[in-house]
Amino acid sequence: MNEKSPVRGSLATLIPYMKSHRLRLILVCILVVAVVVIDLIQPWLVKEVIDRYVTVTRPDSGAIMRMAAAYLGLVLLAFGLTYYQDIVLQRIGLSIVRSIRIDLFTHIQRLSLRYFDQNSAGRIITNVVSDTEALNNFFTQFLSNTLRGIFSLVLIMFFMLRLDVIIALYCFLLLPPVVLLAIYFQKQIRAVNAEVRHRLGVVIGFLAENLSGMAIVQIFNQEVKQQKRLDERNKALLESTILENRWFLLFFNITELLGDLAIAALIWFGGKGVIEGTISFGVLYAFVGYIRRFFQPINTISQQMNPLQSSIVASDRISRTLQELPDIKEVVGAEAPEVSGVITLAGASLAYRSGHTVLHDISLTIRPGERVGFVGATGAGKTSIMNLITRFYDVSAGAVIIDGKDIREWPLDALRRTVGIVQQDVTLFSGTIIDNLRFFQEDISDERVREACQLVGAEPFILRQPQGYNTILSERGSTLSAGERQLLSFARVLIFDPRILILDEATACLDSRTEEVLQKAIHRVSAGRTLLVIAHRLSTVQQMDTICVLELGMIVERGTHSELLRQRGYYWRLHESGMLLEEAA
Amino acid sequence: MSGLRIVGSYFRTNWVIYVFGIGMVAFGSLLAAQIPSVLGRVTDCLREGKLGMSEMAGYVWLIVIIGVVRVATGWGGRVLVHHKGRELTYRLRKELFAKWGTLSPSYYHRHSVGDMISHALSDVEVVRELVSQGLNQGTSGMAMLLGASYLMAVHVDWRLTLAGLGPLLFIPLLVKWLGPQIRLQSQRSQEALGAMAQTTEEVIGGIRTVKAFGTEHVVISRFESRVDAIVEEKMRFVHLSALFGALLPLLVNLGFIFVLGYGGFLVTVKTISLGDFVAFTLYVAMLRMPLEQLGNVINIVQRSIASLNRIDELLHVVPDVIDRKGPLLDIPLQGSITVKGLSFSYPGSDRDVLHNISFCVKPGQTLGIIGAMGSGKSTLANLLLRLSDPPEGTVFIDDRDILHYPLARLRDGIAYVPQDGFLFSSTVLENIALSGEYPDRRKVERCAGVTAVHENILTFPEQYDTEVGERGVRLSGGQKQRIAIARMIYKDAPFQIMDDSLSAVDTATERRILDNLRELSKSCSGSEEGHDKATIIISHRLSAVQHADEILVLDEGSIIERGNHALLISQDGIYAEQWFMQAGQFEEGESDKSDADEQRDISPLDLDVEMEALEAGRLEEAS
Repeated sequence: MNEKSPVRGSLATLIPYMKSHRLRLILVCILVVAVVVIDLIQPWLVKEVIDRYVTVTRPDSGAIMRMAAAYLGLVLLAFGLTYYQDIVLQRIGLSIVRSIRIDLFTHIQRLSLRYFDQNSAGRIITNVVSDTEALNNFFTQFLSNTLRGIFSLVLIMFFMLRLDVIIALYCFLLLPPVVLLAIYFQKQIRAVNAEVRHRLGVVIGFLAENLSGMAIVQIFNQEVKQQKRLDERNKALLESTILENRWFLLFFNITELLGDLAIAALIWFGGKGVIEGTISFGVLYAFVGYIRRFFQPINTISQQMNPLQSSIVASDRISRTLQELPDIKEVVGAEAPEVSGVITLAGASLAYRSGHTVLHDISLTIRPGERVGFVGATGAGKTSIMNLITRFYDVSAGAVIIDGKDIREWPLDALRRTVGIVQQDVTLFSGTIIDNLRFFQEDISDERVREACQLVGAEPFILRQPQGYNTILSERGSTLSAGERQLLSFARVLIFDPRILILDEATACLDSRTEEVLQKAIHRVSAGRTLLVIAHRLSTVQQMDTICVLELGMIVERGTHSELLRQRGYYWRLHESGMLLEEAA
Repeated sequence: MSGLRIVGSYFRTNWVIYVFGIGMVAFGSLLAAQIPSVLGRVTDCLREGKLGMSEMAGYVWLIVIIGVVRVATGWGGRVLVHHKGRELTYRLRKELFAKWGTLSPSYYHRHSVGDMISHALSDVEVVRELVSQGLNQGTSGMAMLLGASYLMAVHVDWRLTLAGLGPLLFIPLLVKWLGPQIRLQSQRSQEALGAMAQTTEEVIGGIRTVKAFGTEHVVISRFESRVDAIVEEKMRFVHLSALFGALLPLLVNLGFIFVLGYGGFLVTVKTISLGDFVAFTLYVAMLRMPLEQLGNVINIVQRSIASLNRIDELLHVVPDVIDRKGPLLDIPLQGSITVKGLSFSYPGSDRDVLHNISFCVKPGQTLGIIGAMGSGKSTLANLLLRLSDPPEGTVFIDDRDILHYPLARLRDGIAYVPQDGFLFSSTVLENIALSGEYPDRRKVERCAGVTAVHENILTFPEQYDTEVGERGVRLSGGQKQRIAIARMIYKDAPFQIMDDSLSAVDTATERRILDNLRELSKSCSGSEEGHDKATIIISHRLSAVQHADEILVLDEGSIIERGNHALLISQDGIYAEQWFMQAGQFEEGESDKSDADEQRDISPLDLDVEMEALEAGRLEEAS
């Protein structure tokens, strides 16, 4: 475990996890040493045979046979140990990575929406998937190869010193140049490899672009021109791959040549020693055997710098994520009030970044069962109000009060059960329709799911699917139409039976026929619930009890459709122009 | 086995280099097999004590020379073989791309671009492995094995050779047996990892939903089960690879033990010399790597046959649209197009995508086509462009069947703007001047002026020389479309087809562009009739076609309404209904239809959106 210390600071994430596997890691080290020793003892055995049983006056074949038999036992033992050691080490790695993955994912789930809005989905996914996999490589590649490499090297040196100190020291002279050579070549090869990958990326990009635009290429008669352009890129790739291969071959062959030259040198100096009688022939033989094994571990270790580097980077990123704190905190021992569905915004303001307030001092009371529409251009603050009511974000000033209690004092669980939301983009997960409807919670009965689907009018199309409710949604429901997906999301919200229902542009992007079906569904769903509707089409909110017109984070007009028309203000202008709010922005 | 032809013919054309390359690799390996035997001789000489320093120097020089020569020849041979192998990948990629250039959209509909790229990359790489690494390792492994076996069996003792090398001969079998299993299991672990990535992606993408429903614990347990599946698959992989990793040295060690015991015994009874014994032990150590590689070669051959067959198949795809045999009408296009009773269905489907379509467009005229996605608009455009061939006797250009023109001539005569305004990752200038050999800067600027994008381009960092990024990612949707239209104008062809190419442009700009275009295609009509252009505008948006001489309303492949704007409005059918369908106008009731023409500056913008949703539904029904 020595090699771990120089990187302790950067691989800090791993340490607590590795500590709990301390004993097993020590076991692995012992096993590795045992296996390496059994392997390295071979030249020594031959030396013993030569010096003790052959080049003596009375050769002893019985002793040789016994030695071979004993070594057979060792070899079989080594077979078992190698197998066992590999499995133990890999299991340690896998279970550590498993724990890190689950801890990381659980932690990310605890973070509030601000984190998800500030970090791209791609980054978070990379963090959970690739960074943890890079840590896995730390165990599968770095640790196993480095352990074996280092122990081999040390033990070879040990055996050499035991054989003959002087020759061993001469042999060690070979170490610095070999190490430097290995490092130098690794660096070069990494550089050309990066170039190869870059050029490969260029070719892939070119192919992707041209294959998807092949019709244009053909219509504009550009086939020959594009072939020439591919040729330039293809040739550049060819050149760099040839260069990469040259470096590989250079390294491989120089190592081979060094090996042969080292043997020649050994024979020269060692042979002299044998002739002069200073060393036995067996010792010379053993040196030849060991010097051949000298290069392998050095190469192996020098190849481990890349995986190590990427593990360190990954570990850094993981620990940074684990240090993120959720801004939305639950008060300990919070209790939910009796729910009736009154929402009060008391001077509520919201700033996503400090100093950039997007909602200014909103005050509004919504009665139980009231239907309120919110309209306004993009960026006017419609969705921000919903972010406050669902407590995706906390107010920066003022308060949001539901049923007489500041939502910051609600248990989050109860709040999320009370407030349901249907969004424009319907999120479906890979699984069956019914899984999606009850969110993989088997304790919700099939009957309840079916009831909800009948109520919103989703059942007919669900039953049309090949397996009905048990149809597996391919590619997250991308084969369903937008209207069907939206119907599923209505049904889902109904199953969870929230007292307050928010429709966030839920009917945008639908054609009028589907919208009609959905409007009916909304009507049925909203019975007995407080309903908040965000829309960019005025027609969607005309029927509401109250319409709030938002502009630049403030409510500028409020009233029923006809009241607002009579006011001849912003709402009226929008209505008259027939424009969509998005256009007006 | 047909795929092997590719490699076979490549070998034949490059046989000189391959003979040299393979010969050198084999020679190098045969030499390498001499080193243990030389060491054996040194041993014997030392043993017999008849070795002086000068003979010693001779042996040392021999080793040095063998070392240098074997490394040099092996190196040279490998360089040659690898070089040729990489050239083959280059050639295969080139040939594949040339082939793809001849294939029509129907092929692209049936095959994903991702798959095609994977052919161009991984399949080709597998072939490269075969002809470079596979060839090298196979040659050197066999040479070394044969060389060593010969030296030992013939010159020393065949029984000892069998005992020592016997276990090693199982190495290739072991690799062949376990290799594919390990590979398969490794793929399974990758799939498990992919499943976890997918779950993560879903959850992070739908985090608002997850949080809104308060179901974090549900997704965490789903994630956990994915992670457990990874551990399970990976442990299976580890069991296999650990077995492999332990068996390999076991076989080598068994060989060593036989040599140690039996060989040691033979030395003591003087059947073999000490030098032979030494050489044997060294051979066992030396042959491990090449034999492992031999096993690997067997796997490479198996994999590459599959890849070669796929590549061969791709190279032999017959394009659906090619020039007709026999005499062709190699004359410039004039600009009138007639479609008579055109019905069309894609091969392998009996559903008509287009049904009994007839129309006629003369130079200077504009035809508008509207309809939802799946109504057949784009198929119609594809047929006019001969991206698919229409049935004989249905589509006529200048009164002659379109099938009788050479493809190059036909496409020279038609300028086209695709839906997404597809741009290539080069400069704005090169994109607009795509049809020309050398871009004419002033003409490019004029065209950009017509499509109202010139001013935008002037604000780009390098103006017309600005790189637009992959598929124009650095531009907005509207800019891309306007550049694509400028590209069409630059081509200055007698036919212009715009396939929903103004969808991302706001209505005011759309009006400006359409006015400019109308002016342009008629401007020369006074002087020279030939310059009048026939224009076909396909659109979702009615405002784009309202000034057309004739408008066709397509639904499920049939024309359900036709006429000019005024006529269609007065018919009070689907066209009229869609025209009036816009925010607030239903409820007011008082907005009377006669006002429609005056109100044209307000276009039914959200029609796009609605139609798209409708189409999505219909498409799904169709599939």
